[in-house]
Amino acid sequence: MKEFENIKKDFPIFTREVNSKKLTYLDSGATAQKPQSVIDAMNNVYMNTNANVHRGTYVLSAETTQLYEGVRNKCKRFLNAFHSDEIIFTKGATEGFNFLANSISKKFLKPGDEILLTEIEHHANIIPWQMVAKQHQLEIQYITVNDDFSVDMDDLKNKVSNKTKIVSITGESNLSGLLPDIKTIRNIVKENSDALFILDGAQLVPHRKVDVQELGIDFVVFSGHKLLGPTGIGVVWGKLDLLNELDPVSGGGDMIEEVYFDRATWAPVPHKFEAGTPPYVEAIGLGAAIDYLENITMEKVSDHSDKLRAYAQNIFSDLDRVNVIHTNEEFAGCTFSMHVDGIHATDISLMLDTYGVAVRAGHHCVQPFHRKLGIDATFRATGYIYNDENDLDVFKDALVSSIEMLG
Amino acid sequence: MGIESKVEAYKKMLSLFPNAQEKYQYLIEQAKDNTNFPEELRNDNFKVSGCQSQVWLIPEEKDEKVYFMSDSDALIAKGLVTLIASIYSDETPEDIVNSKIDLMEEFELGVILSPARRNGAFNMLKMIKDYATKLKSD
Repeated sequence: MKEFENIKKDFPIFTREVNSKKLTYLDSGATAQKPQSVIDAMNNVYMNTNANVHRGTYVLSAETTQLYEGVRNKCKRFLNAFHSDEIIFTKGATEGFNFLANSISKKFLKPGDEILLTEIEHHANIIPWQMVAKQHQLEIQYITVNDDFSVDMDDLKNKVSNKTKIVSITGESNLSGLLPDIKTIRNIVKENSDALFILDGAQLVPHRKVDVQELGIDFVVFSGHKLLGPTGIGVVWGKLDLLNELDPVSGGGDMIEEVYFDRATWAPVPHKFEAGTPPYVEAIGLGAAIDYLENITMEKVSDHSDKLRAYAQNIFSDLDRVNVIHTNEEFAGCTFSMHVDGIHATDISLMLDTYGVAVRAGHHCVQPFHRKLGIDATFRATGYIYNDENDLDVFKDALVSSIEMLG
Repeated sequence: MGIESKVEAYKKMLSLFPNAQEKYQYLIEQAKDNTNFPEELRNDNFKVSGCQSQVWLIPEEKDEKVYFMSDSDALIAKGLVTLIASIYSDETPEDIVNSKIDLMEEFELGVILSPARRNGAFNMLKMIKDYATKLKSD
């Protein structure tokens, strides 16, 4: 991990202490820390160029618009999209799913059509579908997840049919680190149905190169804050012909072509989906985050994740009393959910906090799957580019001491 | 002992611990000593909403004074609610309603109850005061 040893220096937050201990941040699955370059990019807008984007015929607005629209090109390159117009900015992955669920169901779905998800989806990839299913009388099916936390491919084959119109699946589980084999799943789906394929990239995009052309998918959704960018910005990528057919779900400024008292026409894609003043400062921050990752290269980012994951798997294997929820697949993300018999997950995370170790406790927005496992809550450690073996050692030692103290 | 002097006493006690870890250990001991909570009352009617762990608080009136029983499925949270229950127990409804103390601010322990929804600690104190208000008006 040599090339990664100086990375922490790029992130100002790591200069602070928590409970008089050096910060060991292992909650990047919830949100990533921000490098100085992202903070600087956003500060620069506020200090030097700030003006509302689009149609401001003066220098500041033109500069800000250029910076903002330039991020679409960065996203296009980052995802290997066909066209920068395929990049739609949202306020986050959750809004992305709500937009897709509402827009697609209105345009393409009819009562009785089926939506296929997996049991390990994040609530953001469940609730919007439940809401539109109720509205349009659609059925939701869940692909079973095996005891080793992998997707049951036989169950997928059983459940996908010509009634399946949407398949929406996580690219990386925020609970077990599982990386479902998207290409194989996509092929099974496309061979057996004419369903649209949506990839939840919230956890995957920050860690691995996602090439939408190579994957052959129809949409991908992700948020900026998990990939070193700010909160309040996310991306939906979709194939241009599909986006052209879809209608907007929010109306307002900036998304129109012509407005009359009794009707309006929409601006071309992508702007017809972006009503109101967009979060342009956040989008510019996201652009700086993409620059930062591309400067390292996504290949090295995923290599680092693989090395961290292997190290963690090794040192967590002999933890007494700790049940680890983590996939056994050869490739997986560095995400480890755990529970200790007889000790509440929040007690563990509070105790870890006293060692300066930040992990999340709760259901991690995957409540149905926790229920299936019969567990109320887990605590979860996730690693990212600024983490190293030492962070995992500190976590492990603190965990052992915490369990001792909690009895 | 009134509410304010109990708060002062606990504050003094907590300040003796040099770090968060030892404060938590003290709370764990409080939790372990609090064993008399009836299993059948661990239900949703008495649950304090908005806490990350499950927290229960049950008021009782005896000789014009209020008493609280408390429980939680997490140890550190249970320790804290045990303290809070003892602060407001053996007090009159008037004194509880009139008390202006912001316990979470005084103890700087809001992190224990609050992370799930910021109103966890607030809800518990509100429940205590609502009950006292109701008794006062009855």
